[in-house]
Amino acid sequence: MPYLYNTPEDQQAMLEAIGAESIDELFDPIPTELQLDRPLDLPPAMSEMELDRHLNTLAAKNRHAGQVVCFLGGGCYDHFVPAVVDAVASRSEFYTSYTPYQAEASQGNLQVMFEYQSMIARLTSMDVSNASLYDGASAAAEAVLMAITATRRHGKIVVAGSVHPEYRSTIATYLENLDTELVTIDAPAGVIDPDQLAAAIDDTTAAVVLQQPNFFGCIEDAHRVAQIAKEAGTLLITAFDPISLGILTRPGDYGTNIAVAEGHTLGTPMSYGGPFLGIMACDQSLVRRMPGRIAGRTVDRRGNPCYVLTMQTREQHIRREKATSNVCTNQGLFALRATIYLSQLGPQGLRETANLCLQKSRYAAQQLCANERFSLAFDAPTFKEFVVRDAENQVDRLLKSAEAEGFLAGIPLGQWYPELSDCFLVAVTEKRTKQEIDALVQSLANSSSQVPAQV
Amino acid sequence: MATKKKNMRNTLDTQSIFELSKPGRRAARLPACDVPESSIDKLLPSEMLADGPPALPELSEPAIVRHFINLSTLNMSVDTHFYPLGSCTMKYNPKRNERAAAMPGLADLHPYQSEDTLQGMLQILFELQETLQEISGLAACSLQPAAGAHGELTALLVAAAYFGDLGERRTKVLVPDNAHGTNPASAAMAGFDSITVKTTADGFVDLDDLDAKLDDQVAVFMITNPSTLGLFEPNMRAVADKVHAGGGLIYLDGANMNAILGISRPGDFGADMQHYNPHKTFSGPHGGGGPGAGPICVTEKLAPYLPVPVVVRERSEVGGERPGNTNAVSESSASFRYRLDFDQPKTIGRVRAFFGNVGVLLRAYAYIRTHGPDGLRRISENAVLNANYLLSRVTHILPVPQGNRCMHEFVASASTLKRDKDIAAMDIAKRLLDFGYHAPTVYFPLTVPEAIMIEPTETESKETLDAFTEVLFRITEEDADLLHDAPHTTAISRPDEVRAARQPVLTYRAE
Amino acid sequence: MSPEDLLFAKTHEWVAVAEENGAKVATLGLSAFAIEALTDLVYIDLPAVGRQVEAEQPFCEVESVKAVSDIYSPVEGEVIAVNDALPDALEILGSDPYGAGWIAKIKITDEAGLSNLMDHAAYQEQCK
Repeated sequence: MPYLYNTPEDQQAMLEAIGAESIDELFDPIPTELQLDRPLDLPPAMSEMELDRHLNTLAAKNRHAGQVVCFLGGGCYDHFVPAVVDAVASRSEFYTSYTPYQAEASQGNLQVMFEYQSMIARLTSMDVSNASLYDGASAAAEAVLMAITATRRHGKIVVAGSVHPEYRSTIATYLENLDTELVTIDAPAGVIDPDQLAAAIDDTTAAVVLQQPNFFGCIEDAHRVAQIAKEAGTLLITAFDPISLGILTRPGDYGTNIAVAEGHTLGTPMSYGGPFLGIMACDQSLVRRMPGRIAGRTVDRRGNPCYVLTMQTREQHIRREKATSNVCTNQGLFALRATIYLSQLGPQGLRETANLCLQKSRYAAQQLCANERFSLAFDAPTFKEFVVRDAENQVDRLLKSAEAEGFLAGIPLGQWYPELSDCFLVAVTEKRTKQEIDALVQSLANSSSQVPAQV
Repeated sequence: MATKKKNMRNTLDTQSIFELSKPGRRAARLPACDVPESSIDKLLPSEMLADGPPALPELSEPAIVRHFINLSTLNMSVDTHFYPLGSCTMKYNPKRNERAAAMPGLADLHPYQSEDTLQGMLQILFELQETLQEISGLAACSLQPAAGAHGELTALLVAAAYFGDLGERRTKVLVPDNAHGTNPASAAMAGFDSITVKTTADGFVDLDDLDAKLDDQVAVFMITNPSTLGLFEPNMRAVADKVHAGGGLIYLDGANMNAILGISRPGDFGADMQHYNPHKTFSGPHGGGGPGAGPICVTEKLAPYLPVPVVVRERSEVGGERPGNTNAVSESSASFRYRLDFDQPKTIGRVRAFFGNVGVLLRAYAYIRTHGPDGLRRISENAVLNANYLLSRVTHILPVPQGNRCMHEFVASASTLKRDKDIAAMDIAKRLLDFGYHAPTVYFPLTVPEAIMIEPTETESKETLDAFTEVLFRITEEDADLLHDAPHTTAISRPDEVRAARQPVLTYRAE
Repeated sequence: MSPEDLLFAKTHEWVAVAEENGAKVATLGLSAFAIEALTDLVYIDLPAVGRQVEAEQPFCEVESVKAVSDIYSPVEGEVIAVNDALPDALEILGSDPYGAGWIAKIKITDEAGLSNLMDHAAYQEQCK
């Protein structure tokens, strides 16, 4: 038992102090018939070395982004993580502490939360940010609930079909038992038609949910959508890509009321999709409806500036069933990673990162589509991801063959959009080199000349 | 006397990061663009371009490191201090788990990779599903929820879907008055009315009040067992029987599973659903607030409603895994293939994107494999031993209203001290910081006045518990004024929370 | 106003009823006892003017750092005015609870609830 201190002598001494005969006696409050009368049916304990070997064996059955070249996106991206992020975030005082209930013993975490909130507000041009939520999808669902309470409109949520399908599915789950209808506006051209959106909104609509750039990588006419939302008295919820804000208009600048995002791209590896970082920022007028922890700046008794958790009356431990949400923690460690990452990049670094994504993805799209088998599915401008149509409608075989050659080439879209079953989504981050892109293009070209592809 | 130590805080580098910023400083250098570059204006519509990059701070790399490392030293943490924060199970976070979760073959995986390239990961997740089912005595598992509260919400949505399928729309969820605030909040989020059930002075469910509140509209009774008072509910079976008799379900808030691993199983004492807090029970680091995870287990009849996907195991086809590629503990793995099953027509859908908080789940897996069945039981035995020992020492100083025995934690009360000496639970909490102990949870549960909720965990020594007791005794003998002004040695004194809430300053602005 | 001239609810609201433009209007606030017990108020969530309120139902909230308290309307009616000065100057609640610290005016549509109120002496007794 590697993590226990108690020797048999300690246990004996402690039992005597308690006045108990045995450890078993301490479990007497559990009725005998409710006690398990056998050992758990689990494999035996492993030493550290055995565990290491076991996990290495299992890890070796996976193919990771250091072994294969990753062009997968769809809400999770292979961005570069600077060493500084790992070095600082591995400090025990950060990762083995908990929610800063005792502000005097948690100024490190609280100041980081405050700096995180400040950076997110600047990144998004929104008034305020919370200290983070679970992930992008649940942040979007929380934003929807927040909009319903804030507007007191319970009838409808209108969501663009170009929003990540798993985000839409999450929102639908959250609304399932609440009598609010979720209306989806299809995006057959890769972006939604704002007029169609306008027609779907009525005076019971609490919010419009848009993703920018959207799931297909395309840039929506967010200004137009924001204007429509505003005129209808409904809130605009935008799911944004943090890296894109190195060059794209910030959500607050086009009239977003609640901005949400998946923030793992700010310094956290792909980790098979989690744990991640749910970013949420909003208008000042909505702050008391916001879920999650919020840190604020104040002074201590000696008048020195310091930080505390604040506006806690919104939260479940005080307001219980009337709370803004049941969320009770933030993703502190990943908010920390994002804060370090944004500090490390700075304004110029973020801009350059965004530009590299844009340039390389455009180059990749161009090179791929030089092959007549492939074409871009949509005309709308894209940021770092794009949808490729395979004229031979052999997406699965194509991706399989690329995989065999060491490329995670794209995400087949038919699973969410049956009409796009001949399409796949390709993401190109700043990490991809020209050489890798050219090799991918070559691999997909080879696959197209082999009939049938080797699987 | 106030132990006024010289404060070694580095005040220059712990200023706001925005005050450390100077235009033109840079830390990151990006590679040159190696593809033909076009001007951004040509690639994107001008109205979608920002005027300039966001106003992030500009620093050199050493300045960033010094800033954040100095901030880290202003925290107490499990690795540096005894942290008996009741209900949070602040146990040691094993370093081998950290290494495991950071292995590139486990950390650098994309959620949309093909299953062929994920067999090791899927095997771990499958085995964890099975393991959690065995520990809870329940039939099915979803690893998807991102935190305990998220698990509560997920399970309540599962319950709603189950009743919907039976053609019922039940409207109520019952919650005891000493429950975590997440319980009623989750009930409300899932569209239920939260109804409070009283507990007795002993801290147990008031069966008369339960009877009065049970009707055919009750969907779920949410119970924390062992309770937030650190007590095993003696009427658990009766409570479950009553709820089941009306067609309702029992939800177990698994926050306190650290007391009963391998000793008693929720499925065996009447729970239909439960969540785990792997960041508590299975040693995941708390990360300054998160991430955690909130996997749930449910009975057979509720399994069809779980979120998708779940991991399933199938006999491998020819040409799959090669034998000889395994070791003793996964000898059977070679003949199996693992895949994600989305084909659940009755599922509630998703509660998040992708699979789950896998990094946290990996640590839980490593922890459980490190312990095996005997080791898991030893964890609970020692957690309960440590708590009872500390209770036996503390109760002379701070009375424990609910008796002289407990499970993994107990709730003391400072109400006598408050009355006699004007020393409140908060004062004791603050003064403990001066002596290098993180404070216990105070003012929860709400049913105990001046509550001080202490959970030592199994990864503390008798020496630590003895030293803590000495300090606690010393504090209660101190002058009240000294305590009212505590802490004296921390980086800051008590913050003005009224000012923080009245005039909220939530983002940096230059002063 | 002097507290002796006011009526009080069990839930610590005070009420003054007067005729305004031919309608009965209840002006409502929180008792000095309640304000003191709530300690350090940080926020008030005033109802919207025009909102219909029901007798003995919450229609407004005040918050301290770690507690939320509902304010109940003793009567059924419509909110016709709220004290807009309060959110930025909550100290008025404590310094002049029965005057400048008024919270809302409600045009009464059903005064049945008034019969459940007590006079100042009875309220003082309750607060002991």
